[in-house]
Amino acid sequence: MKIKIVHFLCLAMLVACFSCDNDGWLERDPKNIIDDDQLWNDPELVVSLLANYYDRIPSMHGVFYSGGMAEIDDAMWSGHFDQNWRNDFQYGNDYGRYWDYTFIRDINLALENLEEFGTEISDTQKAQFNGELRFIRAMVYFEMVKRMGGVPLVTEQLIYDYSGNPEYLQVPRAKEYEVYDFIFEEMEAIKGNLSGNEGSRTRANRITALALESRAMLYAASLAKYNNLMDTPITLPGEEVGIPASMATGYYEKALAASQEIIEDSGYALYNQNANKQMNFYEMLMDKASSEIIFAKDYETSLKTHGFTFENIPRSLTDDNEYPTNLTPSLNLVESFDYLDGSDGTLNIEDTDGTPIVYDEITGIFDNKDARLYGTVIYPGTEFGGSPVKLQAGVAVYQESGAYELLTAQELGSTYDDGGLFTGADGPQDNAQFVSNTGFYMRKFLSDASGASLRGVASQNWWPWFRLGEIYLNAAEAAFELNQPAVATGYINTLRERAGFPENSIATVTLQDIREERRTELAFEDHRFFDLKRWRIAHEVWDGDESNENAVVYGVFPYRIVRPGHPDNDKYIYQKLRPTRFRRARLFRFANYYASIDQGVLNNNPKLVRNPFH
Amino acid sequence: MRKTIIYSFIALSVVLTGCEKDNFDEPAAILEGQITYDGAPVSVRSNSAELELWQDGYALNEFIPVYIAQDGSYSVSLFDGAYKLVRKGGDPWQPQLTDTIVINVNGRTELDVPVTPYITLTDASYTVSGSSLSADFQINQVVSGSELQEVFVFMSNSVLLDRNINDYAEALPVEALSFGSPASVSVSIPEDLQNAEYVFVRIGARSSNSNELIYTQAEKIEL
Repeated sequence: MKIKIVHFLCLAMLVACFSCDNDGWLERDPKNIIDDDQLWNDPELVVSLLANYYDRIPSMHGVFYSGGMAEIDDAMWSGHFDQNWRNDFQYGNDYGRYWDYTFIRDINLALENLEEFGTEISDTQKAQFNGELRFIRAMVYFEMVKRMGGVPLVTEQLIYDYSGNPEYLQVPRAKEYEVYDFIFEEMEAIKGNLSGNEGSRTRANRITALALESRAMLYAASLAKYNNLMDTPITLPGEEVGIPASMATGYYEKALAASQEIIEDSGYALYNQNANKQMNFYEMLMDKASSEIIFAKDYETSLKTHGFTFENIPRSLTDDNEYPTNLTPSLNLVESFDYLDGSDGTLNIEDTDGTPIVYDEITGIFDNKDARLYGTVIYPGTEFGGSPVKLQAGVAVYQESGAYELLTAQELGSTYDDGGLFTGADGPQDNAQFVSNTGFYMRKFLSDASGASLRGVASQNWWPWFRLGEIYLNAAEAAFELNQPAVATGYINTLRERAGFPENSIATVTLQDIREERRTELAFEDHRFFDLKRWRIAHEVWDGDESNENAVVYGVFPYRIVRPGHPDNDKYIYQKLRPTRFRRARLFRFANYYASIDQGVLNNNPKLVRNPFH
Repeated sequence: MRKTIIYSFIALSVVLTGCEKDNFDEPAAILEGQITYDGAPVSVRSNSAELELWQDGYALNEFIPVYIAQDGSYSVSLFDGAYKLVRKGGDPWQPQLTDTIVINVNGRTELDVPVTPYITLTDASYTVSGSSLSADFQINQVVSGSELQEVFVFMSNSVLLDRNINDYAEALPVEALSFGSPASVSVSIPEDLQNAEYVFVRIGARSSNSNELIYTQAEKIEL
């Protein structure tokens, strides 16, 4: 008993000696939450928050999304039959709808907190973070204005005061040109504060801001010009949609000035590292030391990868066990690449009298094409990553009548009776899945790194948001519209030289030349859809007419000639066809120029007006 | 054993009877009618034209799309009540966004919706001689300022045909056509349609004010 009391007293004394500092105990910093003071005063934490925001920069369908590309680029879906609706659909009224005020709020909140809590970081650093956040916000507004027209410009947090009247939170839509002006002014304001990111290809710097200016101002200018040239311009009475024609020149001037400032910057140059112009164009997007890339979304095998190679690698080359070959480029795209002698790029498949032209080599029909064709598309007779791509649709057996009978095999990689190849291991096959239905495969963005086509490894090549090639095209278009054809011709010819054309391949550039250059140079880089929209020709190019070559995806299939004893034996002919799986000509309606605003959004904010045709 | 069976029957009957709460009647009323101009039906491309139907008095507003068939008819299943009908833009007629039509739907309700097309196609008739088809028709300007952009004769072996779905389309020279005067054109029937017993024909015209064509009714022509 006594001992117990002694023990107890000892224990009590022990506790009393250490006692507790009540205030300290209750006011410890949490171990699992980073509070605003900590976050905004630690540059490393701010950078990791920025990484999340950079990652959320929007594009039409999200980067490297094969399915989206099959809907809006010069290609079709050759993947699983379940997704054949991509070849058989109409752009709905909500196609391309984008209304991400969650992200806008996140950025506005970050900007305000940086200002309020960031007391221990230097002013330069603060200005740089501020600039980066505003750059990302401008990218989001740009994506919204491209797709929805003028949207509410919200630049600070909207906080409800519980007064029962939320009307002051209902921001009406800005005019379309006000959003473009906002983007320009923001970039002008921040471009001087980003010197800490000089030379970075993945964080915003002065050149990145100028690149956004270049693109956004060109969009605004062409909308101002071409919308008003339509028979019935697409407008709303409050100018939420529709930019006055008088503003076009000013915007073109801004686009040209920003583009020229980038072109003159010594830190960037058109990629020209490989004497082989064809591989050079491919490597331009693959080489992360590329001097051409201005701003990219980076990937890294150990951290963050994408599955573009897995999804689109030619069938016989995949390291994975299923689902290769989803996106396959169209003949229409292949034909939009000119021949190096400057002639039109249409393939010479048949003579004028309809007899097929015989080529010695399977690649013969593509000889002397723009080098960018090789860099963009895998066509018959070429290789990828050192392995040959075996594209051959079948054999053309010569008949007594003088015609060819075209035979194809169900089994890929099979041998014909004469001992030669029947149908290649990579097809093409009509009406089949996971094999090209057009006769072509993607090369652009497709990584040849080891294991890149395996889901478990995947690809780490990056996505180019902005690159110098586009800036040249922006500059050329703006200069052309400003009546400076010589300047425009210079830019276009520089780009074409990089593609293997001789010097000064175009004497005087036309608007059509510039548009075709954009189509070929920037294929699959999230430009074509928006280019067609801002030139206001989308409804003519994709008019839904089944006989319109532009609205329908075509393919071309190579056949090996079987004609024993004749010099034509084992040579090749080509057949143009409309793939069975491409079911419906693309139809772009006036209503698709601006996507409809979600009804829920309209219900929440009665001050919003609906887009035209919706 | 018998008890189990009885109990399971009781349980089953309870489940099948369900409760009133989540069993709503399906909409029983039908609103149907025709898009008209001057009393005559206006016909359009399949899957293109739409009307919007709104009903007030509920917390959330969401319109009901009303799809218009190629012959200009429409029908929609609704509950009885008062609705507002909006003729929106993007069709070959003028949008009337502020001029809603108020409808009281009660049981089977018929309503013809008058619209103002930019142009109209009237008095279409066809005659076949051998492998050529001659079409007589007249194009009229309704909204001043609309120019004629494109005119087509479409043929198909099925009744659904328009600019996007057809077996054959021939563009007519627009310069030779003028508003308000009868036109007569001759079109040769393509070989793959000649051998059938009949062909469906439709004429479509587009004005400068719209991206959609306005059509004549599809007509079955015996060959």
